[in-house]
Amino acid sequence: MKLVLRKLALLCCLAAVTVVGCDYPDPDFRMNMVEAVSNDTGPEYQQEISDVLGAMFGTPDDRHAMPGTGLDQGRLRLAAGPTWTAEGGSNHGLYRRHCVHCHGITGDGRGPTARFLNPYPRDYRPAVYKFKSTYNPSKPTDEDLRRVLANGVPGTAMPSFALLPGSEVEALVEYVKYLSIRGQMETELIRYVYDELGEEETEDENGNTILDPNGEPVMRRIPLDVEKDAEQREVILEILAEIVDGWNAANDEIIVPEEEQIPDDVRSAAEIAASVEKGRKLFYGTDANCVKCHGPTGLGDGQQDDQDNWNKAHKLFLASVAKETDPAIASAKEKVAETLYPVRNAIPRDLRQGVYRGGRRRIDLFWKVYAGIAGTPMPGLGPASEGATGTLSEEEMWNVVDYVLSLPYEAPSRPQKALPENPNAISSAG
Amino acid sequence: MKSLTRSRGIGAVLFVCALVAASGCRQGDDLGPVADPDALTNIRAAFSQGGESADDSAAMPTGTGWATLKGRFVFDGVAPEMDPYNANKDEATCTINGKAPLQETVLVDAATKGLANVAIFIRKAPRVHESAASPATESAEFDQKNCVFLTHVFPLTVGQTMQIKNSDNVGHNTNIEGKNGFNQTIPAGGTIDFTPKKEETVPVSVRCSIHPWMLAYFLPRENGYYAVTGPDGSFEIPNVPAGEELELQVWHESATGPGGALVLNTPEAKKRKWSKKGRFRITLPQDDVEEIEITVPASALGG
Repeated sequence: MKLVLRKLALLCCLAAVTVVGCDYPDPDFRMNMVEAVSNDTGPEYQQEISDVLGAMFGTPDDRHAMPGTGLDQGRLRLAAGPTWTAEGGSNHGLYRRHCVHCHGITGDGRGPTARFLNPYPRDYRPAVYKFKSTYNPSKPTDEDLRRVLANGVPGTAMPSFALLPGSEVEALVEYVKYLSIRGQMETELIRYVYDELGEEETEDENGNTILDPNGEPVMRRIPLDVEKDAEQREVILEILAEIVDGWNAANDEIIVPEEEQIPDDVRSAAEIAASVEKGRKLFYGTDANCVKCHGPTGLGDGQQDDQDNWNKAHKLFLASVAKETDPAIASAKEKVAETLYPVRNAIPRDLRQGVYRGGRRRIDLFWKVYAGIAGTPMPGLGPASEGATGTLSEEEMWNVVDYVLSLPYEAPSRPQKALPENPNAISSAG
Repeated sequence: MKSLTRSRGIGAVLFVCALVAASGCRQGDDLGPVADPDALTNIRAAFSQGGESADDSAAMPTGTGWATLKGRFVFDGVAPEMDPYNANKDEATCTINGKAPLQETVLVDAATKGLANVAIFIRKAPRVHESAASPATESAEFDQKNCVFLTHVFPLTVGQTMQIKNSDNVGHNTNIEGKNGFNQTIPAGGTIDFTPKKEETVPVSVRCSIHPWMLAYFLPRENGYYAVTGPDGSFEIPNVPAGEELELQVWHESATGPGGALVLNTPEAKKRKWSKKGRFRITLPQDDVEEIEITVPASALGG
């Protein structure tokens, strides 16, 4: 009898826990805490910034895009919110269906699976994209993002979504831009609050500074009160317009190769060999410097000590935690530091595998040689913007592309990987 | 026997509860606040009314004439010894007689105690003198030798061209972070021009990915009201607006404030109402040549 009771109690306990305890709350957009604590954003400002972002961009379940963002509301409607399928078969909540488990609800690249992936999934919030047709600091075009979705990123966990209907891909592209613009706005708001708001001295009605009993001025926090302060609203709308302009400019910042320099599709073996040979010389020369990082064998075993922007930001943040002298800020920073993933170095691509993350067409490689890869140590060899000076001519860059494309097929292609160098060898001597 | 069964039963219940508590209901490591639904609605309604241009009376110039601000930053304490750069690539070029050059994070002049590489600039100028409105020279050279950027803190007026030079016999790439974003290979012995378009509020880092120990800072500003202290810690900003309050931002690479803001708590800094963001305000009489001396204790640079 008592045994039955006990079993019953056990079952009740389990049932209660199942029903109540593990209920998943509605997803929320959480703050970019690395930016917040780096800019000394206190809890009150954090709340105010969250509220402004909520007003501008809504919540994960109730997205909102101000007309000023120029985003397509219809596409966002398909991509945002919880996953469901309408009677007619149209799918909703596409971002949560396909993307969120890696890229996270905020687009911070910290979904549940992110920690286990190498490379880490892209954090959309800085709005820096690697695989694109535009100049290094420019935003990607819609077509660039679409191509990444269609092809995936070979050699990484990012799969191809080529089987999705075009309308669903369009919706996801729009939502990625929405998360990016939101992320940019968040960082800009944090910096605006740091730069322009903060504490000020208080004055009495005669314009004299009010002092506390110790003779120190009494300080007052200037709130971020967008509801009441029309000036703050104006500034924020200007920041938004600047962010959106950056995205809109992408179509004018595409690198279009000179027609007469583009190698013919059909070339003789001798012509290709001549171009490859020129490219090889450039690869190893001190103008292009490819060898320094991709290594004397092209296995990506040259300079391996650097990080991409995302990892470097975290590395610098961790260094700032160790240096922090203010105990309150130090403790806030430590809490954030605990949530970060281990910092990884940027390993140059092994060019002998024939796997190209940004696409294997010659134009994809040309864009990378020309503009470099945004957010990574990989520099460009072409002009940094229209009319600027390039390191190589377009013809030379096409030679490099030909050489790189020949590497996987170079026979016999069995070079030995260079051994890592001892990083302390010189510093101890000095 | 009976009590044993009972304790086992209770144990099982506790165990299950503990297990669930420990693992099942973990809600992730989300930090930070979430938008408040009421505040969100009210702010959204306010946004729909649009904004209002800043009250221009505050920014309107109230003074006339010009003045000069000059001075010195003096280090107070034992100057830290600089470690050599970790030059572990291209040693033939990047070391001198097998020794790597010394880092430049804190440079103190032995004779005068002057602190070099402090950036000081007017945050928002109410008026701009013509000499500061357009750069004196069209371009400025930014060179690198022995895998060291020769100008550690490099300011520039937007519109000026930065001539990025490579005086080494190995290739470099110059990777500038921030709003302008630049990352291009600079051939051995070559020069590449770069014309930044956007202002930064504090200096941003300049690196070389091929030699990751290389580090400098870049400060593009809309007008010429900036200075970087020389080896003796001195600086001069000529033709600044007189008769009205100017707010100056002070920055040093190793300063402990956010983004490198030089925060000072000395009595003289308190007198200047030096802020926690490394800023102070000053009003200069017309045609005045104001000389200020600012003491920087070692603790302000994390020492």
